[in-house]
Amino acid sequence: MMKNLIPDNPPFKLINILYKKEFILFMVFLSIIIINSNISPYFLDLYNLIDSTFLFSEKAIIALSMTFVIIARQIDLSVASIIAVSSCVLGYTTSVGFDTYLVISFTLLSGILCGAFNGLIITRFAIPSIIVTIGTMSLFRGLAYSFLEDQYYNKFPKFVVSLGSDYLFGYIPYAFLTFIIMSLIFAFILHRTIIGKRIYSIGNNPDSAQYTGIDVDRYTFILFTLNGLFSAVAAIFLSGRLSSVRPNIAFGWELEIITMVVLGGVYIYGGSGSILGVVISIFILGMLSFGLGLLNVPGVGIIIFTGLLLILSIGFPSFVKYFRSKNE
Amino acid sequence: MIKKIITSRDFILFAIIVFGVVVVGIANPFFVKPSSLSDVLTDTSILIILALSQMLVILIRAIDLSVASNLALSGMLISLLSTIYPELPVIFFILLSCSIGTFLGVLNGVSIAILKVPFIVTTLGTLSIYRGLIYFVSDGKQVYSSEFSEDFLALIHYKFLSLSFLFWIAVAVFILMYILLNHTRFGRNLYSLGGNPDAAKYIGINENKYIILAYSLSGFFAGLCGYLWVARYSVASTQIAIGFELTVISACVVGGISVMGGVGTVIGCTLGALLIGFIRNALPAVDISQFWQLAISGAIILIAIIINTKTEQRKEKTIMVE
Amino acid sequence: MKLELKKISKFFPGIKALQKVDFKLKDNSIHALLGENGAGKSTLVKILCGVYQPDEGKIFLNNIEHNITNPLESLSLGISAIHQESVMFDELSVTENIFIGNHITKPNNLVDWQQMERKTKELLGNLEADIRPNEKIKDLSIAQRHIVQISRSLIHDADIVIMDEPTASLSQKEIDELYSIIRNLKKQNKSIIFISHKLDEIMEVCDEFTVLRDGEFINTDLITNTNKDKLVTYMVGREIDQIFPKKQVKIEQEIFNVKNLYKKTQFKNINFNLRKKEILGFYGLVGSGRTEIMKTIFGINKYDEGEVFFKGKKLKIRKPNDAIQNGIVYLSEERQNLGMTGLMSVKDNINMAVMDKNSDYLIINQLKEIRNAEELQDKLNIKVSYWSQLAQSLSGGNQQKTVIAKWLSTKPEILILDEPTKGIDVKSKSAVHEFMGELVDTGMSIIMISSELTEILGMCDRVVVMYKGLVKNILDVSNTTSEEIVKLASGE
Repeated sequence: MMKNLIPDNPPFKLINILYKKEFILFMVFLSIIIINSNISPYFLDLYNLIDSTFLFSEKAIIALSMTFVIIARQIDLSVASIIAVSSCVLGYTTSVGFDTYLVISFTLLSGILCGAFNGLIITRFAIPSIIVTIGTMSLFRGLAYSFLEDQYYNKFPKFVVSLGSDYLFGYIPYAFLTFIIMSLIFAFILHRTIIGKRIYSIGNNPDSAQYTGIDVDRYTFILFTLNGLFSAVAAIFLSGRLSSVRPNIAFGWELEIITMVVLGGVYIYGGSGSILGVVISIFILGMLSFGLGLLNVPGVGIIIFTGLLLILSIGFPSFVKYFRSKNE
Repeated sequence: MIKKIITSRDFILFAIIVFGVVVVGIANPFFVKPSSLSDVLTDTSILIILALSQMLVILIRAIDLSVASNLALSGMLISLLSTIYPELPVIFFILLSCSIGTFLGVLNGVSIAILKVPFIVTTLGTLSIYRGLIYFVSDGKQVYSSEFSEDFLALIHYKFLSLSFLFWIAVAVFILMYILLNHTRFGRNLYSLGGNPDAAKYIGINENKYIILAYSLSGFFAGLCGYLWVARYSVASTQIAIGFELTVISACVVGGISVMGGVGTVIGCTLGALLIGFIRNALPAVDISQFWQLAISGAIILIAIIINTKTEQRKEKTIMVE
Repeated sequence: MKLELKKISKFFPGIKALQKVDFKLKDNSIHALLGENGAGKSTLVKILCGVYQPDEGKIFLNNIEHNITNPLESLSLGISAIHQESVMFDELSVTENIFIGNHITKPNNLVDWQQMERKTKELLGNLEADIRPNEKIKDLSIAQRHIVQISRSLIHDADIVIMDEPTASLSQKEIDELYSIIRNLKKQNKSIIFISHKLDEIMEVCDEFTVLRDGEFINTDLITNTNKDKLVTYMVGREIDQIFPKKQVKIEQEIFNVKNLYKKTQFKNINFNLRKKEILGFYGLVGSGRTEIMKTIFGINKYDEGEVFFKGKKLKIRKPNDAIQNGIVYLSEERQNLGMTGLMSVKDNINMAVMDKNSDYLIINQLKEIRNAEELQDKLNIKVSYWSQLAQSLSGGNQQKTVIAKWLSTKPEILILDEPTKGIDVKSKSAVHEFMGELVDTGMSIIMISSELTEILGMCDRVVVMYKGLVKNILDVSNTTSEEIVKLASGE
C-alpha cells in the first residue's frame, strides 16, 4: 500500500506571497524610491546613493545582531552606550600610542565585555533585559562621561579613519560592505542552521526550550555578548568617520536600531522575523532619511516620521480590524 | 509585628536614606543644614511626582518611556503661549499644561490598548515624536527667563513653613496617590489587573479602559511637571528633561515597584525617588564630579533591581521538614 | 427551576462548539456536567459566566429570561464560577481576593477595609477554614485557595456555583473537606454545577448529571438511576471494555538507580531503582515532592547530595541536555507551557530535541528532519495536513502526540511521565495507557507520577509512595491494597 505522503507546505498560492511582510516591505521600499526620484533629480545619482549608505551602515550592523536578540525575546537598550564606551577605548588606546591591531583588539574587547556584563546580569539574576539594559544604558554612557568629562578624542589610527570613510575599489564604503557581508552570514545562521532554529524556539517558548535541552541562558548570554561586539564594530566605523569622539556619541541610536528591527517585521516579544525583512527595512529608513535630507527636511522631521512609521506599521492591522468590528 | 516592619523593604529604604544623610552630613556638615535639606526636597519633588505617576503604568505591567518628552513638549507649548499672552492667569497655563499632557498620554494609551502596539514600541515611538515636535513648534529656539511674565514664575517661589511650593505639590500628589491606590476601587483594580490580567477579565475589569486611564494619568502628571519644570528653571528649550524618563523608572525600580506588575507601594516609590534625589544632591556635597552622576545612577538601578529580584524571587515551597 | 438553558448554540469559525443544548438545574441540587475534552463543557460554562454570548438559545434564571453579556452581569445574577487556580491574585490578600471587583465602599466612595476584613473573618469562620484574612494568596495551599474562591462566590451571594474540576490537585483529606463544604452549600439552598473527570467522585457527591458529546446534549437524569459504565458509554458513544489495558511484559534487569538523593527543604533519603520494561508509579499528595525529584533527575533543578546510576554508571546531570543525551526524558504535567512551541511547525517540534542529529556541522539537513518526522507521524498517527503547519493549529490530542513524538525521536530508554492523563477524557486516557504498554514492550522503562490511585494500581508494576519529601515505602502493586497506599501517602 502506498503511504499517504504529507507535503512540506500547503498548496502554493500566489496570493499568499502578497500577504508576506517582506513583500509588503519591498513594495514600500520601491514606492519610496519612485517618489524620491520623482521629487528630486539628485536622488538617483550613483555617487549620492553610495554616500547615503554612510547614514545607516553603522546602525545597520548593530540592527542585525539586535534582530537575534529580539527574536530570542530579549531587548538591548544599551547598544548606543556601548558605542560610547568602545569609542573612548579606541581614542584612549590610540592616544597612549598602542599599535593599530592592539587598538582594535582593545576596542572590540571593550564591546564584548559590556555585552557579556549585560548577559551575565540578565541570566544570573533572571531579570528582564529591558530593565537591566535601561540600567547599563546609563552606566556605560556614564562611564564614558566620567572618563572623558568635557574632553574629546580626535586622533585615530589611519586604518580606522580609512575604514570609516574610504571605499573598496573607490565605490563601496567599507561600512556598507561589512553590513552586506554580515547580513548574508546572519541570514544563513538564522535560517539555515540549528543555532537559528534554537533562537526561534527560545523566543517562542523559553520554558519549553529549556525542557527540551536547549541551554537558554547560554544562548542569551552569547547573544548579548555578540550585540556588544557588534556595537564595538560600529564604534570603530563611526569614530573613523566622525574623527572626533565625545561621550554623547551615537546618542539615541538604540531607538533607531530597534525601529529598524521592528519595522522589518520582527515581533517585539520574540519568536518571529527574518533577516531579509530587517535588511529591507534598513534600506527603507535609509532611503527615506536620504530623500527627506535632499528635500531639506531637518533631522527632527525624520525623527518624527520614523516614530510615526514605527507605531503605524505595527498598529495598522489592528486598526483595520478594530474598525471592521465596529462597523459590523 | 515589629520584626515585620523592620524587615519590610520600605523601612530598609528609609533607613538607607537616613544613614546616607548622616554619613554625608559628617563629611560635609553644610549638607544637613535645614535649608540645604529643604533644597534637596525641592529638587526631588518633580521626580517624586513623575515616579508616582509612572508607578500607575508599571503596576499594569507596562512602562511609559515618553514622560520626559511629554513634559518638555507641554512645558514648551505653555511657555510659547505665555510669551504671546503674558496677561493670562498662571492657573490657566497650569491647567493647559495638564490638559496637553493628558492628551499626549491618551494617545499612548489608545495606541497600546486599541491599536495593540506593544508598550515598548509605542512609548519609544512617542518619546521621539513628542521630542521632535518641540523643535517643530519652537523652531529650535529657547524661551528665556526674561520672556516669562512675573506672574508665571512667581508661584514657584512661594513658600509655606519654609518649604517650597514644589515640595507641597509633591506632598499633595503623594496623598492623592496614596488614597487612589489603597482606598479606591480604581487603584485596587490596577493592582489586580497587573497581578493577573487573565483573571481580571473574569471579574469584569476592562483592561483597555485601565490602560488608557493609567497612561492618561501618567500624561496628566507629566503635563503638570511640564509647568513646574519650566517655571522652576525659568527656561524652556528643546533639551529640557532629556533622558529624565530613565531617572523616573529607576526611582520606581529602587522603590520596589515590580516590572512584572501588581506589586509596589506608594511609600516605597516615594522613598525610591527620595533616595535617587538624595544621591544626585549628595555627590557634589562630597566632591564627586558631576560627570560621575550618570554612571552612579546606572549602577544604583542595577544594584536595586538585583536586590529586588533576589527578595522577590519565589522561594521554593518547603516540602520536607528536616 | 433554578436555571434553564434552552437550545443553546455557539459557533466558532469552523467549529460547532454547542448545538441546541438543553440544561436544567434544579434548586438544592449538585449537578454533574460530564463530557470528554472538547464536548462543549467549558464553552457552556463560559456562556454562563458571560465570557461568551450564545449564538442561539435562551437562558432562564428562576424562570425569567436573561441575556448575560459580560462577566460582571453573570456575577450580579448570582452565578459564580470556581476555576482551577489561575483566577486568583497571588500578591493580594485573602480579603481582597474575596472582594475583588466588588470592594465594599464607604458613603464617600473609598474602600471600606475594616468591613471587608470583618466579613472575611466571618465567612472563613463559617467554612471552618484556618486562613488569616491578611495572608497573601501566594502563601496558601491549593485547597485553601479553593476555599477562598468559594468564599468569593458566597460574598456575591451566588445562587449557582460552578466548580470546574475542583478536586484535580487536592489530597484525599482536602477532597473530603471540600465535599463537606459543597454539601453545606447545598443546605444553604444553593445549586452547584460540578465538572469532573473522576467518575467515582461524581457518583459520591452529585444528585443529577448531564452528559454532552461533540457539542450536543446526550442525556440527563438522576445519579441514582445510572452507574459508572453507563456514564462512560454516554460520554464516549461506545463501550470501553477495559479502562486500563495493561500489557503483560517480562521485566528485566535493573537499569536505573537513585541513591540517597537530597535537596534542602525539598526531599531527602530518596532511594529507588527502575528495571528494564518496568512501569514504576510515584504516588503521593500534590506537593509531596514527586515532581521536584523528577525535575532534579532531569537536570532542571540541582540536588545537594546523592548519586544517580544509569546501567551501573554514575551520571552527572547538570542540565536537561545531559539527561536527554543519556536517554532519560521528562514529560511535564504542563504540556502546553513546557512541552510545545505553538508558533513553530509540527516538523520543527518533532525535531526539537534531536537537532544535533539532523544536522551536518550545525547546518540543518532537511531530508533527515523530514525522515524523522515522517517516521514518528506514522507511528503515532498524528493528523497533520502539511509539515509547515503550526503546532498550535493541531487539535489537543494531536498536540499531545507531537510532544510525545518529540521525545520518542531522542530514542529514550527511560520515560518520566508527570500526570500524563490529568484532565484528559476517558477515550484519550485509555489511548495513553495502551501506548504506555506498547512502549515498555519495546524495551523502554517508565516512571509515572499520578494522583489517581486506580491508574497507579492498573498500570504500574511497583509504586513509590511519598509523603512530605520522603519515600514512605516501595510496594509491589500485585501485593498491596489501595487502603495501604492511601494510608502511607497521608503519613500514617
